[in-house]
Amino acid sequence: MSAYRELIKNFGRIRAYMREFYVYGFKHREQYAAKSPRSYDDERRRMESWLGDYMSFVRTPEGKNMFLSIDSRRMDHNPLYKAWKAKSFTDGDITLHFILLDILHDPSIALSVGDLLEVMERDYLSSFNSPMVLDESTLRKKLKEYVAEGILTMEKQGRRILYRRAEDKTDLPSRDVLDLFSEISPCGVVGSFLLDRTEERDSPFRFKHHYITGTLESDIMAQLFDAMRKQSSVTVTNVARRTGEPGQFRVVPLRIYLSVQSGRQYLMAYSPEQNRIRGFRLDYLSGVKIEEPTPRFGELRARLDALAPSLWGVFIKDRGGKTEQVSFTVKVGQNEGYIVDRLEREKRTGQVECLAPGLYRFSATVQDAGELRPWIRTFLCRIVSFECSNPRVKEQFLEDLRAMYALYGLGGESV
Amino acid sequence: MIFREYFSAYYITVGKILEALLKGTPTEKELQAIVRKYAFEESAATILPALKQGEWQLMKEDLTTPIRRAPTMPMTLLEKRWLKAVSLDPRIRLFAFPTEGLEEVEPLFTPADYRVFDRYGDGDPYEDETYRRHFRTALEAVKNGKPLFIRMKGRKGNDVCGVCMPYKLEYSEKDDKFRLLTRGNRFVTTLNLAKLTECRLHEGKWENRRGRGPAAQCVVVLEIDDRRNAMERVMFHFAHFKKQAEKIGARKYLLRIWCDQEDDMEMAIRILSFGPMVKVLEPAPMVDLIRKKLIMQKNCGLI
Repeated sequence: MSAYRELIKNFGRIRAYMREFYVYGFKHREQYAAKSPRSYDDERRRMESWLGDYMSFVRTPEGKNMFLSIDSRRMDHNPLYKAWKAKSFTDGDITLHFILLDILHDPSIALSVGDLLEVMERDYLSSFNSPMVLDESTLRKKLKEYVAEGILTMEKQGRRILYRRAEDKTDLPSRDVLDLFSEISPCGVVGSFLLDRTEERDSPFRFKHHYITGTLESDIMAQLFDAMRKQSSVTVTNVARRTGEPGQFRVVPLRIYLSVQSGRQYLMAYSPEQNRIRGFRLDYLSGVKIEEPTPRFGELRARLDALAPSLWGVFIKDRGGKTEQVSFTVKVGQNEGYIVDRLEREKRTGQVECLAPGLYRFSATVQDAGELRPWIRTFLCRIVSFECSNPRVKEQFLEDLRAMYALYGLGGESV
Repeated sequence: MIFREYFSAYYITVGKILEALLKGTPTEKELQAIVRKYAFEESAATILPALKQGEWQLMKEDLTTPIRRAPTMPMTLLEKRWLKAVSLDPRIRLFAFPTEGLEEVEPLFTPADYRVFDRYGDGDPYEDETYRRHFRTALEAVKNGKPLFIRMKGRKGNDVCGVCMPYKLEYSEKDDKFRLLTRGNRFVTTLNLAKLTECRLHEGKWENRRGRGPAAQCVVVLEIDDRRNAMERVMFHFAHFKKQAEKIGARKYLLRIWCDQEDDMEMAIRILSFGPMVKVLEPAPMVDLIRKKLIMQKNCGLI
């Protein structure tokens, strides 16, 4: 049995635990039955080490619930980024990293594998009692990796391959830029890596309605973006919400859809097998493999663009062929112009029209009228009519309203 | 693609330790302080022993290092690609952003590769030069702790002006708006940056008039009936608050949310959006607010 280590090799397991601890947080140790208790103890201990300030617990009759409790309005930077800074490595990895970049400290220095090995052993490792033995293949592997990551460059000189430090032609932007965009831009954790290169100071920014959990999908998202840039297909592993079973889908990734009102992130992709565009929740994806480029990328993205005016959220019905009409009318008092402002700014693809003084109607033609129900409910207290071409949606809306009245003891006739 | 050891807290910490060794001979205590500052709570048990025992052959027993220069690493391709993507964001116009060296870099993503589908439509005018000037002035004031003179149109269209001390610029992704959080003025604490008609550093004397303190918080207690995946939707929706959840029945959950009292109206409509799957139990004013809205709705005669 291996001893506990603070760092991790794979992000997948901690990703699932962090989501459980942060988004839900009501399970106790025994309820993590799918994983072993030992695994639970290790992951909890890691989270305590990385995010100790945010760990809380509550005792219930069933046991002790540990959870992450973070008010994102009162922090400057996403604390969950720490998980991305906990990658494990070997003794050789870290030793090689610092020695290699010390030898190649200037882009004017170019050395072959053999030269590098010699300098490493002579000038660095020989001063230790039991010098680390570096083999050529390990060094070659590391050099290849650093060339691919843009840290080093490689060039041929006759039959020799020489390595040198990549020239840093790009200036680091101001800390202000990094403080802001590391929190609001997709894959913001990369901005956090750049922040680590600067001197620490308080951020001038704070964030409201700030969903920080999306970072757990940063690697998946970055790979999907990469595939889109390459106009390539991907094979994704999607874990079904209901069954928990993983399934593989070969799709063409077309666009990432982000919600700033729920923190959910989706991949909109074309499935050749089903001949339709559909959404995948990024937090249900556990793997992405980039395949070959597809000549249909432009055509398929245009197909998604054509559907966009009828998308309220991400749901596409019947390959997008059929749409549903939904409308509701609200009454607005004399000093309630802010309600009209709300309708205008929140209408997305819908229309707002004034029917009469103090009476405004919202209408939209959408793929799935059911997606509007939660938003329409935010206007409760002033809805005088509600219509939908899908009778089931209207029926459910009214049924829910009756249930809400009952929930607050408001049954019976008008109050 | 992103999960790389050279971005890790351990590498950063070791880099800082090597920097300290090159500057002189730090004490054990100073080395421990570096670990505490840059790594995790339990890292001290790993990093210093690994260096001292020569597992990582970067520090010798006499606290010297064979490394000759303060460690640096060129910007990685991933970092450059992300910066290039940021350079395409309309909000970058708020800053002076260096694009030199990024000309040939493929962005990690472009605005065409993602869409925020539920952002409000009246976001701040990043194209507007006056707005950008106000943003930069406000940012300077926040960073340097300087008072600001601000002028804006009041609710009744009247001119309102005064001096305040801004301490943060708050951005809401949902509203796509920056707000200035201020102290020292009895009348304002939060200002929409886009509503300012004048914003300049205040050079004269400034008297702290003891504005309102930090926003008071309240605990909202919700009972969730886990139908139609309500539990997951609610948990995600309120994830950005400090909260605590508890399972109280086969499909019933209790959720306590700590939120600013001044956001009670916003909170009420967010709760209403979940329909009958969520019931407010506390505080009493929130229950009353929801009940009042439902009574008003009932009187609209929809059913």
